[in-house]
Amino acid sequence: MRQRLLLCLSFCWLLLQPLAEAHAELVVVVNARSGVAAMTRNEVINVFFGRSRQYFNGVEAQPVDLVDSHPDRARFYNALIGKDVAEVNAYWSRQVFSGRLQPPTKVNSAEEVIKWVSSRPGGIGFVELAKADARVRVVHEFGSAPGTLANK
Amino acid sequence: MPVSLLPRLAVLGRCISRLTLVLAFLSSPLTALAGDEESSFTLQGFGTLGVARSTTKDVEFVRDLSQRRGIVDEWSPAIDSVLGVQGSWRINPQFEAVAQATGRAGSRGGFTPELTWAYVKYDPTPYLSLRAGRLGTEFFMLADSRWVGYSFLTVRPPGDYFWYLPFYGIHGGDAAVSANVGEGVVRGKVFYGLSRGKIPLASEDWNINGSPMMGAYLEYQIGGWHLRGSYANLRFEHDLPIAQVLPSPLTLSTAAANFLQTRGKRTHYYSLGVVYDQGPWQAQLMLNHIEQGTEALESSDGGYGLVGYRIASVTPYLGYSWVYSHERATPLGFDPVTTGVIRYVRQDSHTDQKTTFIGVRWDVVRNVALKAQWDAIRGASDSYFPYRKDHRATWDGKTNIFSLTLDFVF
Repeated sequence: MRQRLLLCLSFCWLLLQPLAEAHAELVVVVNARSGVAAMTRNEVINVFFGRSRQYFNGVEAQPVDLVDSHPDRARFYNALIGKDVAEVNAYWSRQVFSGRLQPPTKVNSAEEVIKWVSSRPGGIGFVELAKADARVRVVHEFGSAPGTLANK
Repeated sequence: MPVSLLPRLAVLGRCISRLTLVLAFLSSPLTALAGDEESSFTLQGFGTLGVARSTTKDVEFVRDLSQRRGIVDEWSPAIDSVLGVQGSWRINPQFEAVAQATGRAGSRGGFTPELTWAYVKYDPTPYLSLRAGRLGTEFFMLADSRWVGYSFLTVRPPGDYFWYLPFYGIHGGDAAVSANVGEGVVRGKVFYGLSRGKIPLASEDWNINGSPMMGAYLEYQIGGWHLRGSYANLRFEHDLPIAQVLPSPLTLSTAAANFLQTRGKRTHYYSLGVVYDQGPWQAQLMLNHIEQGTEALESSDGGYGLVGYRIASVTPYLGYSWVYSHERATPLGFDPVTTGVIRYVRQDSHTDQKTTFIGVRWDVVRNVALKAQWDAIRGASDSYFPYRKDHRATWDGKTNIFSLTLDFVF
C-alpha cells in the first residue's frame, strides 16, 4: 500500500514537473555594476523594443535576446506586453527594413545571457530567477502567471 | 549551340556558384550573430506573393499612385508582389552602412529591381541618430515600411490614406533625437533631401527628381501606446505633363498651362496617428490633411481606423478608411474652353470615397503570414484620383477588392 502511494506520488510529481518548470519565474537582469537598481515594465519595454538606448543614469543599455526556438523568448514577450513572437518579429521587420535599427543580438541559452550581461556595463537580459547569480542584478520581476506583473 | 557561347556559359556558371557561396557565407548565423563590439554583416530580406482582383472593369485599382497600371476584375499578382533584400554592415557600434534593393511591379509594368535605400548611419550618442544617403521617407506614420507586408496586420496599408503618397525616397539626410520622459520616450526627427523618381500619369511621367522635400515629426511612446504628429512639404521642380495626356479635342493653352503649373508650387502634408498595440489587441487611428499649392490638384483629407484581435496565431481585423478632396472654385477671367480644360484637369485629382475592410492574418509558421482581405469601396462616381484608366462614363465609384497574400521575412 505504502509502495503504491509512493509510486503514485512520484508519478504525480513527474507529471507536475514540466508545469513547475514552465512557471519558473522570469526576471530581467542587468550588469551588477550598471548602477540600475530597479526598472518598471515600461522602462523594460523601452529597452527591449529599441525605443530607448540608455538607463536613467546615462549608461548605454545593451540588451540581449534569446533565439526564437527558446521557449523563454515567447514567455518573456507575453509577460512583458502580451505579444506573440510573430508580432515581435513583425515589429522588428518594420524597424530593420525602414533603416531605423537592428534588433538586439540573440543568444541560445540562459548561460549565454548571463555571460553577455555580466561582461558589458550596460548589459540587460532576461532569465529564470534561479539562473540569476551574483554577477547580475534582478531589476524587474514578472508574476508567475503569464501576463501578470509584480512591478517594482 | 554556337561554340562561342559555351565558354561564356561556363563563366556565367562559375559566377553563379561563387555568388551562391558568398550569399551562403554572408547569411550564415555566425556573421549575423557577431558580437556587438565587432564589425558584422547581416543579410536580411522580405517579400510578398499576392494576388488581388476587383469587381469592375471601369477603373484599374492600384496600391498607390506610383503604379502605372492596376488590377481589374481578374486575379492578378501585379500590385502586391514584392521582394526586398537588405545588406547591413555594422562597422562599429556607432557606424552602420546599409543598402536595400526592392523589386516590385514597376511604373513601366514588369518586375523592376531598384536600389531603394543606400545610406550611412552614425549614432554619436545613444539618443542621437544621423543618416545620410538614399533614404526612404516617413511622410506619415508607417510610410517608410509600406512594402514590408510582414510588418503590418492588413494586406496593404489602407489605400484611402496612402494612395496620395507615390513618394518613396530622397537623396538627403535625417537626424533623430530621443529622450526618456517619465516612463515613456519622446522622439523627434527632421529630414531634408531632394526627391527622386517619376510618377506615372497615363502614358507619361511626372518627373519629381530634384524636388526638395523636408519634414519633421514628434512622437511619444509609452507601454503599448504610440502617438505621432508629423508635417512634411515638397516643392515640385517640374510641371505635370498635362498637354501630353489631355484627351482630344482638349488642348492646353498657355493661359491654362500657367494657371495649372506645379513647378515651384509646394504641397504640405499634415498627419496625426495613434497606435495601441498590447496584449491581443492592435488598434490604429490616423488622420491626414494634404494642402496642394498648385491649382491643378485638389487638397484633401483622409483617415482610417483599424482594430485587430489575436486569437492564438490568427488575427481577424476590421477597418474603415475615407478620403475626400475639396473642390476648387471655378477660376474667373478665362474663356470657356480654357475653363473647361482647367475643370477637366482638376476632376482628375478629385476623390470622394469610403472603404470598409475586413480581413484575417494567420501567422502560419515562423516569419510567414497568410492574409485574406475584402475591401468594400463606396465612393462617388467622380472619385477618379486613386485609380488608373478610368472610364468616366461608366464608373459609379463602387467596387470590391479581394486580396490574398503570403508575406515573409528571412
